[in-house]
Amino acid sequence: MIEVRNFTKRYGDFLAVDDLSFTIPEGEIFGFIGPNGAGKSTTIRFLATLLQPTSGSAYVCGHSVVHDPMAVRRVIGFMPDDFGVYDGMKVWEFLDFFAVAYQIPRAYRKKIIGEVLELLDLTSKRDDYVNGLSRGMKQRLCLGKTLVHNPPVLILDEPASGLDPRARVEIKSLLTELRAMKKTILISSHILSELADFCTTIGIIERGRLLAAGSIQEIQKQLRTHRVLKVGLVGEDVPRALAMLRAEPAVQHVESYDHTITCEFQGEDGDKARLLHRLIAAGVSVHTFTEVELSLEEVFMMITKGVVN
Amino acid sequence: MLRENPVLARELLVNLRSSRSFLFQLVYVALLGVVVYAAWPIEREGLTQVSAGAAQSLFELFFYGQFVLIALVAPAFAAGSISGEKERKTYELLLSSPLQPSEILIGKLLSALTYLVLLILSSLPLMLLCFLLGGILLSEIVRAYLILVLAAGTFGLISVACSAYFHRTSAALVVSYLVILPLALVVVYLTRNAAPETRDFVAIALLPPWCLAIWTMVAVVVSRRLLHPPDVGSEGRAVVDEEEEMKNAIGVIIDRDLFPDKLFAPPKRTDLMPDGTNPVLDKELRSEIFSQGTLMLRLVIQVSMLLSIPLMAIQLFFRPEWTAYYVGYVLVFNLLVGPVFSAGSITQERERKTLSLLLTTLLLPGQIVWAKLLASLRVSTVLTFLLTEQLLLAYVLIGDLQQQFWTLLIFLAIIAVTCAVTTSVGLFCSALSRRTVVAMVLTYLLLLLLFVVPIGVERFLTNFTEIGVERLSALTVTSPFAAALSVPLTVSSPDLGLTASERPAPPLVDPIGWPIWAVYLVLGPLLALALNVMTAWIFRLRWWHAGATL
Repeated sequence: MIEVRNFTKRYGDFLAVDDLSFTIPEGEIFGFIGPNGAGKSTTIRFLATLLQPTSGSAYVCGHSVVHDPMAVRRVIGFMPDDFGVYDGMKVWEFLDFFAVAYQIPRAYRKKIIGEVLELLDLTSKRDDYVNGLSRGMKQRLCLGKTLVHNPPVLILDEPASGLDPRARVEIKSLLTELRAMKKTILISSHILSELADFCTTIGIIERGRLLAAGSIQEIQKQLRTHRVLKVGLVGEDVPRALAMLRAEPAVQHVESYDHTITCEFQGEDGDKARLLHRLIAAGVSVHTFTEVELSLEEVFMMITKGVVN
Repeated sequence: MLRENPVLARELLVNLRSSRSFLFQLVYVALLGVVVYAAWPIEREGLTQVSAGAAQSLFELFFYGQFVLIALVAPAFAAGSISGEKERKTYELLLSSPLQPSEILIGKLLSALTYLVLLILSSLPLMLLCFLLGGILLSEIVRAYLILVLAAGTFGLISVACSAYFHRTSAALVVSYLVILPLALVVVYLTRNAAPETRDFVAIALLPPWCLAIWTMVAVVVSRRLLHPPDVGSEGRAVVDEEEEMKNAIGVIIDRDLFPDKLFAPPKRTDLMPDGTNPVLDKELRSEIFSQGTLMLRLVIQVSMLLSIPLMAIQLFFRPEWTAYYVGYVLVFNLLVGPVFSAGSITQERERKTLSLLLTTLLLPGQIVWAKLLASLRVSTVLTFLLTEQLLLAYVLIGDLQQQFWTLLIFLAIIAVTCAVTTSVGLFCSALSRRTVVAMVLTYLLLLLLFVVPIGVERFLTNFTEIGVERLSALTVTSPFAAALSVPLTVSSPDLGLTASERPAPPLVDPIGWPIWAVYLVLGPLLALALNVMTAWIFRLRWWHAGATL
């Protein structure tokens, strides 16, 4: 559905995006994660046909972003990270404006505007001026604007930034509804928890490079060489266990807190079993020996820390 | 207060450290130098006699030239000083600092004027050169510079005050010009053709106290406003609720359902747009054109309508031969108001961050530019033609004019072409610039270059060289003012008994032998067309596919 091939963008000497490639299959919700200034918005603007690449290409629904921007515009709904609204326009006029701009016949427009307002829970605001809406409502309205021409692909740049928790939850439930409508969605954010339980795949970008891409599980698998172990001990065994673990070449960053030791472990499942065996054979009374499931946040921190190449 | 004023320090630092400001000053002094060099009397018999006259004209040229420059440039520098903070959203940061409102005001004013005063003073050596020629008293030079500095202060302060009152720099700029230009005309009228004693009286006894009074009053009012700003916070204020405004409005209100208002402000839609509508055009006309603030628009209309009444009276009853000058007034109105609607039309989409929304739709760049052009052209033309009713009245009431009805058609054609040119120049600058303020100042500069500067150059060359009138009139074919004045109109004045046969016939433009107005009527539309083609091209090139700069 969306395919980016070797996209590179330079601004003078500054390399904003460096040889970026990824693919998003149909129906996926792709979370684009990265710190501020990582190149997320540049990539998104490129996909939204607003940016000429220094090199590389991209295809949305088979249309070239570079050579056939009009066809791409027809199939995408784009929501920029920072957008404004027009003065002196009412909510329904705003939607009608974009519906006309997307060449939707009048006969369908009434129905579509009604439906979009319904979906966005803005029906009661139909005759309010857009400028008077709260930020959350403007954000929802802009999301509504991306839906008027019923595009199969949605490209949303930070749709929930700057919103209060309630408005964020509302946007989230909206996106869930959109997922049910079988849309392919590219969504960027720097708030990780926002994406964790929602995206089917994620891509992590930093300093213009894609560090990892795939489902969260896949990425965690990529991190297998850096598993985090948590070892719970009984009684006075902590110093001994600490000494043993520090002596192990496969173990790094050993830290203890109370009767629990956490450390990073490199190796396969068999190596892990052997390590446990050695601990027990040495008479250390281990009551817990588990691998910590990394949250998206921790994955992100580890990846951007440069732990993984 | 001045030595440690951070506002002043910051502005001066930003403004004066750019090489642009240095270059501009260099060009300015060089240009003045060229003028002096061209006008310098050649060695011949009776030198003192000739040079005294030349010195006098040069002196006047310098004085009025710089006076007009101040009237035009002071608002350009000062009108954005506070509204710019509002637009950049740094206004609240500034107000919440422990700075006194008066410190902010003085900082803003001085920083806006420093450069201007620097420019004026850099002309002093050249002016003193004229003093060497004789024929001018030192006291005259001192008086001239006193007036110039007073004018800079007054005009600057008025602009800063407007800036404090309006949210948008463009509104502040236009209202400043509206207040300043009549004031400037009054001063020119008072100092021109007056005896030296009268001039001295005006310059020394009349102007300084008046200026001081105005300064104090404006400063107090603005400081008070800065101390308790009614215009910060609450995002809801951005909504212009026309119904609500109408209830509270004093004077002219815009009623979209009535004639003539519906000519430029069609009623708001109650239902969806029909198929095939250009949505941008519809949006501009029905919702956006007054987003500049209905207050400003009302002010503009009211002031110009009020002014047009005494002008009409003069034209009808005292000086019917001044018809062309009344047309000139209509043209000045258009010069001032026309760009307001077009110069912001593209930059505002950018500033308001709606451009990327617009560009990702299926609209073509041509459609967008076309809609912007039509909407602003319509409003500017309708407003301008509202002022021509007096002209029509004159043609109905005055016998001489009745017999030359065709000249009315030429005048109206000149006005229409001027509307197209001002709007096109505005739109062109809007596609070229990143910010509305820059676009507006650029538009005014370009229009002056097209409309006013050629007349000045022509007058100068007529006085100081021996080039033929026909050749020189070719310079002024881009100016609607020259075009209006070149329309041959034979009117006998009731009190002077002067007939047109006694006045020299307007020159025909040299290479083609047409009158100036005819050349203007051909050249103007071509210019507008060329500008619009370039605008569409620039828009395509610069915004289409160039989201990096969005």
